[in-house]
Amino acid sequence: MSENGKKGFSRRVFLKLSGAAALGLGLDIGFARILLADDVVAIPVSQGYLLVDSKKCAGCMSCMLACSLVHEGKENPSLARIQVLKEPFESYPDDISIVQCRQCVNPLCLESCEYDALYVDTRNGNVRTIDPEKCTACMACVEACPFTPGRAVWNFEKERAQKCDLCANTPYWNEKGGPRGKQACVSVCPMEAITFTTTVPVQEGDSGYLVNLRGATWKELGYPTD
Amino acid sequence: MNGYTGSILRVNLKTRKISTIDTKKYEMWGGGHGIGSAIFFDLVKDKAISGYDSGNVVTIMTSPLSGTLAPAVSGRTEVQGVGLQSYPVEWFTRSNFGGRFAGMLKYAGWDGIVIEGKSKNPVWIDIRDREVKLVDAKPLWGLDTWETQKKIWHRVTGLKSYKDWMEVGKSPRGERTTLKPAVLTIGPAGENLSRIASLIHDAGNAAGQGGFGGVWGSKNLKAISVIGSGSIHISDPNALMEARLWAKKSYSWQPGNLTDKLGSHAFSSNPSQGSPSTPGVKSRPSGCMACHKCCRRKTELGGNESSCVDMFFYCFEDAKKHGKQTTASLKASDLIQKTGINAFELETVIIWLKTLHKKGILGPGKEIDTDLPFDKMGEYEFVEKLVTQLETRQGIGADLHNGAARTAKKWGRFEKDLKSGVLALQYWGYPKHYDARTEVEWGYGSILGDRDCNEHDFMMPCYYSPSMNALAGMETYISAKEVSQIIAEKCKPYNDPLMIDYSDEGIYSEHMAKTVAWHRHYTRFWKQSIGYCDWCYADFVNPYAPGYRGITPEAEPKFLNAVTGKNLTFEQGMELGRKIWNLDRAIWILQGRHRDQEVFADFTYEKPQEGHATYEIPYVMTVHEKGKWKYKDVGGRILDRSKFEEWKTKYYTLEGWDPESGWPVRKTLKSMGLDYVADELHSHKKLGRG
Repeated sequence: MSENGKKGFSRRVFLKLSGAAALGLGLDIGFARILLADDVVAIPVSQGYLLVDSKKCAGCMSCMLACSLVHEGKENPSLARIQVLKEPFESYPDDISIVQCRQCVNPLCLESCEYDALYVDTRNGNVRTIDPEKCTACMACVEACPFTPGRAVWNFEKERAQKCDLCANTPYWNEKGGPRGKQACVSVCPMEAITFTTTVPVQEGDSGYLVNLRGATWKELGYPTD
Repeated sequence: MNGYTGSILRVNLKTRKISTIDTKKYEMWGGGHGIGSAIFFDLVKDKAISGYDSGNVVTIMTSPLSGTLAPAVSGRTEVQGVGLQSYPVEWFTRSNFGGRFAGMLKYAGWDGIVIEGKSKNPVWIDIRDREVKLVDAKPLWGLDTWETQKKIWHRVTGLKSYKDWMEVGKSPRGERTTLKPAVLTIGPAGENLSRIASLIHDAGNAAGQGGFGGVWGSKNLKAISVIGSGSIHISDPNALMEARLWAKKSYSWQPGNLTDKLGSHAFSSNPSQGSPSTPGVKSRPSGCMACHKCCRRKTELGGNESSCVDMFFYCFEDAKKHGKQTTASLKASDLIQKTGINAFELETVIIWLKTLHKKGILGPGKEIDTDLPFDKMGEYEFVEKLVTQLETRQGIGADLHNGAARTAKKWGRFEKDLKSGVLALQYWGYPKHYDARTEVEWGYGSILGDRDCNEHDFMMPCYYSPSMNALAGMETYISAKEVSQIIAEKCKPYNDPLMIDYSDEGIYSEHMAKTVAWHRHYTRFWKQSIGYCDWCYADFVNPYAPGYRGITPEAEPKFLNAVTGKNLTFEQGMELGRKIWNLDRAIWILQGRHRDQEVFADFTYEKPQEGHATYEIPYVMTVHEKGKWKYKDVGGRILDRSKFEEWKTKYYTLEGWDPESGWPVRKTLKSMGLDYVADELHSHKKLGRG
């Protein structure tokens, strides 16, 4: 029961439950937004997330090139929805960071969009995505992303915003993508430094999204696993 | 023009004119080396000039695959021009380097850069997409390569940290990137005109062979910076993506499927293959753009991005001194990358100096006076002193900056030290690599060319894998016969199993002539023009693949055609390689090349091979004797001078060259559409007869 005594979900409980749906516990969320009992509009959580291990990344940028290739049909790191930041003169482990869209439970990019261009795609596991037809190139979502670098990407060639859709819509790859399919970056990474999960990561800080994917093989190869 | 940007940037440092060349004019050559040679041939009228001559033209070329998802090819950049390192002639030569420069150049809208003339004052070239400027480099002159790059990044972006999107240019469209400018630069060694100076990009990507650092120094060119935001158009994106996944699934190392097959393998080796780990030092693999293998290493304490000889040149001395590799090796590697000195030459120089010191010829107050601290050999202190003297031309560096061959000449030691092998310069003044007495295709290819060829295609399955197994007391997982069959299947158009017969007879055979021809043609097109990395291609034997059959020759055209939309066959690529090899041959002939010059240093013919390679690995190779294939230790062999001369005749004949001179005949050149090259040779009275 919420504080006013009416049956409903508080925002926190809603998010918890919708997270359970992502875990496969049976709560089917077939809508993009819900008006909560406390008058807060909430949205269902994504049913898929990319997790990365920056300590395992070799900096080859294959993920970026695959992303650009399958979405745009071109090679251009600037159009990739996942980015690898490299510091050539820094030492391990401060030399490389993979930065990916977090499919936030509370996506500020979505909230910032006044034109409903950025929406929850219920047909593709609630991934947060952008309808290019509705995008007005206002760049509000690009600015609203609280992470650096921003994960909503400005496509200056098409003059519209775009963001990670977990490969739900890859016109240049004949593979089913999205939360129930394959993701180009996960598929191509030679180090397996990117993985996919249906579990809602911890939203506070980076620990939910930045994980340790270095296992026995990594140790066998002589690399650190801590 | 899928895969190409359509424009080659042309910069005249003397006139400061910036113009473009239409890539279409040279597209027939594929990319990289082929285009570079063709442009050099057209622009340099007198090809017999010194590398220091202001008329020297340096080309820096990409390929249609640069900046794409194609594995182990996307990051390579080819550099050409008249070099400084070779002796006695400064041949038209090549080098290349990895990293992300090639891709960035393509994203900026350029297939390559042509550098002409000499600037009055130090300059660097600032490329931001299609905007190109020459910038005063006086504030950068004297800085090491790392500091230079940091200064340029700051100048281009206005930032001191790079964690966010950066706008490229001032277009209202808002072009942006998170990637720093890719910078190719020289260090103090290049500024001081060293013949063994490198071009350096990022931390450890070096174009080392050829002495291009000194060439840039002579042109007063400190650096080229490029930042790009444009797209490369791909003919069939799905085919490219699927090809990449096919290569990963069937031919690559992957976490969880490590093979126990000992030996070094081309396409499939474990990450950091080229960079030995330092006990107790944490690290990660490091890869060039779009590489699946990531052969380098980044550590918590240095040695970053350095691999192979960039590490090996000092880690053996370090290990001898300390019983294990220490951070001295890592610091030494970073030092040569910062100063911009060719590690491969330095390795041989250190061995030579050590020997002369041991003999009492070199040292404080000796015949060759030097204050180098030989008691500190293996410590960072020794290499620091040597490199500092080299880069500043102080002390022994006043001579050594000219390279070992010219130093030996000045010291009056050239003939005797090359006769004894104390100074192991085997071809054109370059240090021997894999030995011309044992792994002959490497030496033969080098002496027929312009430099240490440094192409590991046959080396991995025919030498390294069996030799590493022999060293470990293990049986090689694949028989010599199977290797010969696989290579025969893959080496179109010859398809001859005896091509890898390294027996005492086989090394002088017509089969070995085919090996060398295949190797020359393959590398000239597929590796140096399209850019497939030497450490991954050709992939003959692959422990992950069905029947151990590697990814060559399926992969090379598969990736290229997915990008370009052309239907080039592997064999057509080989034919283009033959054409490029002939064009290069013509340039060398115009520089004075004759078959009489194509001889190895005397030690090759007079001293038995030491029984192992530089790194003390035995020389076990594939041989076919008495009708049977086997692995055999061929160390200790001497190359027979007259038999090698007979072999040269076989090779020249196979190539359609005049065996008297080693010069191509008109018919050969005409068959490849090189009539204009034949005319040029004819006008210099250097066209082969026949």
